[in-house]
Amino acid sequence: MTRPLHPAAASAQPFQVADLRPTERLFEDPEGQDRLEKVVSRYPEKRAALLPMLGYAQERNGWISDENMAEIAGALELTPAYVRSVATFYTMYNRHPVGRHLIQVCTCISCHLNEGQEVFEQFLSETGTRAGEISEDGRYTVIEAECLGACGFATAVQVNDRYFENVTPDKVPAILDELD
Amino acid sequence: MSDAANQITLTIDGVEVSVAAGTTLLQAAEHAGVVVPHYCYHPGIPSRPAQCRMCLVEIEGQPKLQPSCVFPAGEGMVVHTTSEAAEKARQSVIEFLLLNHPLDCPICDAAGQCMLQDYAFETGQLRSRYAEAKMVLGRDRVADDILYFGDRCIVCTRCVRFMEDIAGDNALVVAQRGHKAYIDTFPGRDLDHAFRGNIVDVCPVGALVHEDFVFKARAWDMDAAPGICPGCSTGCNIEINVKENQVVRTKPRLNTEVNSYWMCDHGRRVLVMANRGVRAEAPMIRRAGELEPASWNEALAWVAEELGGSGGVAVASASVSNEALFYTRTLLNHLGIEGGTFEVEEGAEVTLAGFPKLKLRAERAPNATGAALHGYRRSEGLPEVVDGASLVVLGDALAEAPADYGANAGFFLYIGSHLPPAAGNATAILPAAAVPEMEGTFVNYEGRVQRFHRALRSPGVARPAWMFLSRLLEHLGEGTGVREIGDAFGVMAAGTEAMQGLTWGGLGLRGELLSEAGHPAVAAE
Repeated sequence: MTRPLHPAAASAQPFQVADLRPTERLFEDPEGQDRLEKVVSRYPEKRAALLPMLGYAQERNGWISDENMAEIAGALELTPAYVRSVATFYTMYNRHPVGRHLIQVCTCISCHLNEGQEVFEQFLSETGTRAGEISEDGRYTVIEAECLGACGFATAVQVNDRYFENVTPDKVPAILDELD
Repeated sequence: MSDAANQITLTIDGVEVSVAAGTTLLQAAEHAGVVVPHYCYHPGIPSRPAQCRMCLVEIEGQPKLQPSCVFPAGEGMVVHTTSEAAEKARQSVIEFLLLNHPLDCPICDAAGQCMLQDYAFETGQLRSRYAEAKMVLGRDRVADDILYFGDRCIVCTRCVRFMEDIAGDNALVVAQRGHKAYIDTFPGRDLDHAFRGNIVDVCPVGALVHEDFVFKARAWDMDAAPGICPGCSTGCNIEINVKENQVVRTKPRLNTEVNSYWMCDHGRRVLVMANRGVRAEAPMIRRAGELEPASWNEALAWVAEELGGSGGVAVASASVSNEALFYTRTLLNHLGIEGGTFEVEEGAEVTLAGFPKLKLRAERAPNATGAALHGYRRSEGLPEVVDGASLVVLGDALAEAPADYGANAGFFLYIGSHLPPAAGNATAILPAAAVPEMEGTFVNYEGRVQRFHRALRSPGVARPAWMFLSRLLEHLGEGTGVREIGDAFGVMAAGTEAMQGLTWGGLGLRGELLSEAGHPAVAAE
């Protein structure tokens, strides 16, 4: 069985097929409805709430399914296709499920000069995954990232919302231990 | 336009032109006889993203090249479209577009009509400097009849903007970004708009292709003739593409008064489907109870001899030309047949949001206005034929008729291009050329008389109905036979009040409106 790749790793994958794994519906409970109402009320037009609502879908399910996109389109009076174009434009929206810890290793120029590629490969071998895959235990997904804006502290690694700086390949096991 | 105060004079490639204020450089260049290469700009689509960077031109005094599709012309500007800087920029754009392009021109439907091919040939480099592996996207489907070849796509977004700006249905979008960008729909929600076929026409390359045309004909193997769409009463101006005497494709032809750059998908299918059917190929006359073929001279003389003047009924089709309707009317008058009816198939009406004058109209025939104008009455169903009376049928009016219709007529004259079962009861069959096989005119819903041209050869010895009817009338002692469509039109215009003053040459490719008396609302009363 081939597991789906994260879009960032799947550059050569033709017309990414829809991932049919189920996700929680967004606006069927009070929490989702509250969030929608609150975000929409901040903007002069509904369309402006699209990015925050995509963010909410990812916050809730870890990734954004086609089902969720259609839901958001309905709530914001947009076409599902338009929501899809926005969701695929931004690389930080996950279009496929990811592990509990999404490990993004910067391999842009400063980090590359400071063993970024080696750090990336170290993460892959330590977690036993290929780029973009979810590890067997569901804990990790490792991908390459474009510049994380921490060039002064290369190599930079972002795990979910947390930054690790000055990472070298030998520090990788310690970082993984720190994660639950 | 004539207001001198609003005129701007500028120089483009050494040619001084004067244009209205607000004109873009690209449009001004057309006045100077210069076509600035472009992809994302389409004159029929209002949004101008200026994203393809193909139309960059050099303006003296401006530090950077400017996109001519959006840059307004200014007084005294000196513009160079072929300066070294402009040429170099264009060459770079072409080089980038070709990086991942598969160069599959030998199997691409757009080859020969492809803007990428044309401009690469014109300004591109002979050899690619790209040594890396090309990205492969493959083929996808954006509608049940439209294919998307992702590798050929240059992401000019004309199709996306047609759907958004003109069709009003934002169902086609750019997915991903940068070099990974491609055109896509939402999974499971393909395009189902009645005008979606236009995205194929606006595509400057071979990325979007109609599935019923794909791999069918090369651009240089096809002939083209201007026609009028027979799909509904709008009368869209079309270009009929023909290969080996078969219609392989119909495309919209610009007429800002009728259909702009667009046409609907229903219309695209009508002529292609009409390649099929049993055709009348030779005149047939019933001698000793059997229909047998005859020469035109023999058949016309025989019909003139046998045709009685004792009244009867007539049925016409709203899909035949005005000239055929007019000469049949003259024949009916000679025979003492009152009226004559026609029936029009109705369907759902669909409006094109971005050009609301253009609709797929409920009336699914091109010439109902013309039929009413020539004294035929709109009715439902076929008229009752009294035993022994005359019956005259013009065009495809019997396609749905029961097989024994007209069997009891005294003289049953069938003038048509196809042979439905009921035509077998005819006393004489005069084979008429179908609409794409002849020249003639239709009158559309608003009373616009429009010319169509000949795209196909007729099968056998079928001829335009006006041609042999005028000769039949000559046999009957009414007027003289005409050989030229212009003469037939002239006779008709002279004999039809609403067409007074119209001339064949004057109709041109845009058409002319009928006079007040012939306006559909008046004619219908």
